[in-house]
Amino acid sequence: MLWFVARRVAQAVPMLLSVILLIFVLMQFTPGDPVQAMVGQYPVPQSFRDSLTAEYHLNAPVWTQYWYFLVNLAHGNMGYSYASHESVTSLIAERLPNTLLLAGSGYIVGIVLGGVVGLITATTKRRGFDTLMQTGVVTAYAIPSFWLGQLLVMLFAVHLGWFPTQGMAPVDSNATGIYWFLERLSYLILPMLTYAVYEGARVTRLTRVSVIDTLNQGYIVTARMKGLSRWQTVRSHVIRNSSLPVVTALGYSFAVAMGGSVLIETVFSWPGIGLLLVDSIKQRDNQVVIGLVVVIAVAVIVMNLLVDMAHALLDPRIRA
Amino acid sequence: MSLSGDSVDTAELAPDLDAPRPNTSPGWSRGNATHEWWARMRASRSGMIGLVVLILLIAIAMLAPLISPYAPNELAGESLQAPSRSHLMGTDNVGRDVLSVVIYGARIALLMGLLSAGLALLVGGLVGGVAGYAGGAIETILMRVTELFQIIPLMVLALFVVALWGSHLWLLVVAVTIAIWPLEARIVYGQVKALKDREFVQVARVAGAPHAQILAREILPNALPPVIVQVSLDAGLAILTQTSLGFLGLGDPNAASWGQLLYAAQSYLSTAWWMSVFPGLAVALAIIAFSLLGDGLNEIYNPHQRRGTLGRSR
Repeated sequence: MLWFVARRVAQAVPMLLSVILLIFVLMQFTPGDPVQAMVGQYPVPQSFRDSLTAEYHLNAPVWTQYWYFLVNLAHGNMGYSYASHESVTSLIAERLPNTLLLAGSGYIVGIVLGGVVGLITATTKRRGFDTLMQTGVVTAYAIPSFWLGQLLVMLFAVHLGWFPTQGMAPVDSNATGIYWFLERLSYLILPMLTYAVYEGARVTRLTRVSVIDTLNQGYIVTARMKGLSRWQTVRSHVIRNSSLPVVTALGYSFAVAMGGSVLIETVFSWPGIGLLLVDSIKQRDNQVVIGLVVVIAVAVIVMNLLVDMAHALLDPRIRA
Repeated sequence: MSLSGDSVDTAELAPDLDAPRPNTSPGWSRGNATHEWWARMRASRSGMIGLVVLILLIAIAMLAPLISPYAPNELAGESLQAPSRSHLMGTDNVGRDVLSVVIYGARIALLMGLLSAGLALLVGGLVGGVAGYAGGAIETILMRVTELFQIIPLMVLALFVVALWGSHLWLLVVAVTIAIWPLEARIVYGQVKALKDREFVQVARVAGAPHAQILAREILPNALPPVIVQVSLDAGLAILTQTSLGFLGLGDPNAASWGQLLYAAQSYLSTAWWMSVFPGLAVALAIIAFSLLGDGLNEIYNPHQRRGTLGRSR
C-alpha cells in the first residue's frame, strides 16, 4: 500500500507542474504585455508594474519566467491583490473554509439523497416510479444550477419568507448558542439545497447504473437461490459491491463541484472562493484570478489522488 | 444542470465491435440507411422529443424578427411591468420586452452553442484522431495535454480565458471551445484507436492507401456515431456554459441573451420573478432538447445498450 501511495504521489508531481505550465501558457497568449495579464485592466502605478517585472523576471526568457512563477508559488506567494491591498494567499485562505462548508454539506446531502433514490429506482419493480425518477434526474440535470438557486430564493426566501435571500450571516446579530447555530443554518439551507439537487441527480444516475450492473452478477442469483429475501440480498450483497464505482466517480466529480460553486455562490452572495473568482474577474484583479485557478487545479489533483487511494483501500486488486 | 465533463460514459460509447458494419458504405448516407435511421429515430421516445423541441427552437430563432413583438434591445414600455396582454412575459429593469429578448436570445444561444460544439469537434477531432492513429510518443503527448485541460474545471477554465482575453461574443465562443474540446478529443481518440487495427483498415493499409485516405475513408466514417452523440451533448453543455458566463455578468453586454437577462434578474428577484423564470425556462428547454436528442442518437447507434433516459431503459 505504501509503495502504491508513493508511486501515485510521484505521478502527481509532473501533473501539477504541467497544469501550472498550462495556466502560464494561457497567460502568455494574452494580448498586451505580461504585466497587463497579471494586473488585468486594473489601473496600477508604474512602480507596481516595475516590482512585478522584477519579481517574476518578466524581462528574462520565457523559461526563466516559468521558473520564477513556480518559485513564487512554491513559497506560497501568489502575488498581491491590488484591489483589496491583501496578499492573494490570505484572501484565498480566508474564503476557502466557506466554500468547503457549502460544497461539503451540499455534497453529503446530495449523496445520501441520490444513493437512496438510485437504489430504489434500480431495485423497484414499479416501472412508473423508475420512469418518474429518471425524468426527474434529466430535468435536474438540465436546469442550470444558478437558475434553480434563483427559483428557490423567489419561492422560499421572497414569497414564503422562510429563509434569508443571500449572504452567510446577518450583518449584526447577538444570537448565541443554539440560536446562533440555527441562524447560520437558515443561511446555509437554500444554497446547500441547490448543490444537493444537482449532486443528488448525479448520484442517483451513478447508483442506478452501478446497482443494475451488480444485480446482473451471478452471485446475486446464488444469494436469491439460497433463499435470501430481496431486501436481504440488497443489503448484504448489492450495496457494498455497487458502491465502489460510485465512490470513484464521486471523487472525480469534485472538479465539477468547484465549477458549480462559482455559480451557486454568486446567486446567494456566499463569500467563498467562487464568488471571489467572479468578483476578481469583474474588477480585473488578475493576480487573484491566477492564484485561484492555480489553487483550484491543485485541489483537483490532490482530490484525485485521495480518490485513487480510497479506491485502493476498498479494492486490494488495484494496489498491485 | 451539468457542467460536468462526463456527460457521456466513455464505456457506453466504446465502438460496437460485434456489430458488423462494412465500411464500404460510409456511415448512414445511402438512401436505405437514411430510411433505417429515421425508423429507429422514430422508435426512440427521447430522441423524438429532443428533435421536435430543437426544431421548434431553431424555428423560433430563425423567425425571430417575424414573431417577436419588439426588437430585442428596444425600450418597449415601462420598466419592471408584470406579464400582461401587451407584454406576455413582462418587461425587464430597463423596459425591454422579456418575450422579445427570450426569442432573440434563442439565436445567440443556438448559434454560439452549435459554433462552440462544432469548433470543439474540429479541434478535439484533430487532436484525438492524430493521437489515436499515430500512437507512440505523439499519442502520449497529445493525450496528456488533453488530460491537462480537463484538470481545471470546465467552468473555471472558461472563466479564466474570459478574464485574460475579454468577453466579446467571439471570444466567448473561443472560451467555451477551449473548455469543452477535450471531451471530443477523448471520444475520437478512443474510436480511432479501436478501429485502426480492424481488418478492413489493415486491408486498406496493405493495399497501399495513404494515411490521409485511410483516416478519411476507412476510419472516420465508422468512428462517427459516438462522436455525433457527444456533439449533441456538447452543444447543450456549450449553451449552459455560455449562459452561465452571461449570468455571472461576463457575457457580451451588447447582446440580448438569456444569460444577460438572468444576470439582470438577480437584482430583482424580490420584485420581478418573470425576469428570471422565462429565460431560465428557455435555457433548460434548450439543454433538455440536446440531451434527449443525444440519448436518442445513442439508442440508434448503440442499439445493444439501451440506456435511454426516458422509459424502456432496462
